[in-house]
Amino acid sequence: MSATVQFAAIVRKDLIRELRTREVLVSVFLFVMLSLVVFHYAFASEESDLTFFTGGMLWVTFLFGALLGLNRSFAQEKDEGCLDGLLLCPVDRVTIFLAKTAANLVLLLAIQVVAVPVFTLFFVERSYVGDLPLLVLVVLLADLGICALGTLLATISMNSRARDLLLPVLFLPLIVPVLIAATSATTAVFAGDTGLGELAGRLVFLAAFDAVFLVAAYGTYDFAIGE
Amino acid sequence: MTIEEAAQFVAAAYAVILVVLVVYFAMTARRVNGLRRDVELLRREAEKRERRGEGA
Amino acid sequence: MEASQVGLERAAPGAAGWRRLIGAPALFAYAGAALVAGLLLAFWYAPVDASSMGFSQKIFYYHAPIAETALVAFGVAFVAGILYLRSGDLRYDRLGMVAVRLGLLFSLLVMGTGMIWGKAAWGAWWAWEPRLTTFLIACLLYAGYFVLRSMVDEESRRASYAAVLAIVAFIDVPITFFATRFLPEGLHPVVIRAGGSGMEGSMLLSFLVSMLGMTLLLVAMIRLEYAAELLKDEIDDLKTTLWEVGQ
Repeated sequence: MSATVQFAAIVRKDLIRELRTREVLVSVFLFVMLSLVVFHYAFASEESDLTFFTGGMLWVTFLFGALLGLNRSFAQEKDEGCLDGLLLCPVDRVTIFLAKTAANLVLLLAIQVVAVPVFTLFFVERSYVGDLPLLVLVVLLADLGICALGTLLATISMNSRARDLLLPVLFLPLIVPVLIAATSATTAVFAGDTGLGELAGRLVFLAAFDAVFLVAAYGTYDFAIGE
Repeated sequence: MTIEEAAQFVAAAYAVILVVLVVYFAMTARRVNGLRRDVELLRREAEKRERRGEGA
Repeated sequence: MEASQVGLERAAPGAAGWRRLIGAPALFAYAGAALVAGLLLAFWYAPVDASSMGFSQKIFYYHAPIAETALVAFGVAFVAGILYLRSGDLRYDRLGMVAVRLGLLFSLLVMGTGMIWGKAAWGAWWAWEPRLTTFLIACLLYAGYFVLRSMVDEESRRASYAAVLAIVAFIDVPITFFATRFLPEGLHPVVIRAGGSGMEGSMLLSFLVSMLGMTLLLVAMIRLEYAAELLKDEIDDLKTTLWEVGQ
């Protein structure tokens, strides 16, 4: 069985399992929606021009939602012994990492596809349909970094005590660069005073971050997933 | 800010560095000496038991 | 290898005189000498800074070396992590832990002196400027390293996970600095420079001497703490042996 076939098989397994139970999808989606409401009241003021905060609100929500989702899906795997079963197969550990990252990415994107329009409805004044490709690019690149780093760290934290606490503690400091780049880029798109040229720096940065941590995970995942 | 006021801050900064490093070093040195003593004690105890075992 | 004879990472030749020259107490002495020399140079040789910071800039002569030393410590942990993953020798794990602990200590000092300097130079105890922010995040990150260690019971697994984190964290710190420095919030360039732009010769010399002193101090502390960790391991081994013999 070639690596690509194994990769596809694992991705499909994770996604099918999620589609069947919809445990993670539904609860993370609800969390994201509720966060948006909470944000409205957190910044309650007479005039509701939160344009400058849009990027921040959106990515904070996605970060914490991703943490919830990662925790949940890895806990499921571990408790049901799926991971042990998977490790018994002659699969390259890195393939497992890439497959899990891809599956998490798909789930995160699925949630974002619904969440971003709702967010726009609640908080964004202007129509940015023209800049939509830019937004998609920003979201994709940031998501990749979140999922790669998140998957690596979730694998480690799953095998420790207080796993739900450990993942955020390790993940949040490491993801700050992505947060910085993504929020400013997203705010710029929503506020409308930018084009590809100005965003290019941030996009390149996000891509570089993704590349660096994918390589780091490639080198260390064997040890993260244990024997 | 006058030089006198600035000097207070500068002195404070260096004092903080000195105090923290000295305290940390003292704590570590004390811990190491305690460990060295423990190792000696345990080693002697181990030798004693070994000899007792051979004697018996 | 006897814990009490732990030498530098590079093997020391056997002669006792040589060892005394680079042994732990000697290193502390050199470090102290360099630090004192740096201090004297900073105050009596280097001129007062011409910029608006004025006299408070003198903090820089220890603040910056401490920052570099913290990063060196994290670098040692990074290398130790890689070496552990490749060899499985738990002594690298001990070394890594010691390095992170010292890096954390120095990072806290960076933040402390940075805040004092900030108050003196800008009038505010805190600013979200690149250096302070990056070291704050580094502190949180490496504190998380110890949280991780406390939550994994099995020793070799703990060492593996800690090594992975040390590797990932060290890669992330410069990236974070870059992001805070070059990706301003509003997309429009903001110029915030809170450090020596160009240094004259006398300033540079004082700075370099202090940096040498701090680095030597770090090396001396690492050796001391590493020896302590090995002693602890030896105690555990002895206790286990005694317990078994007693059965």
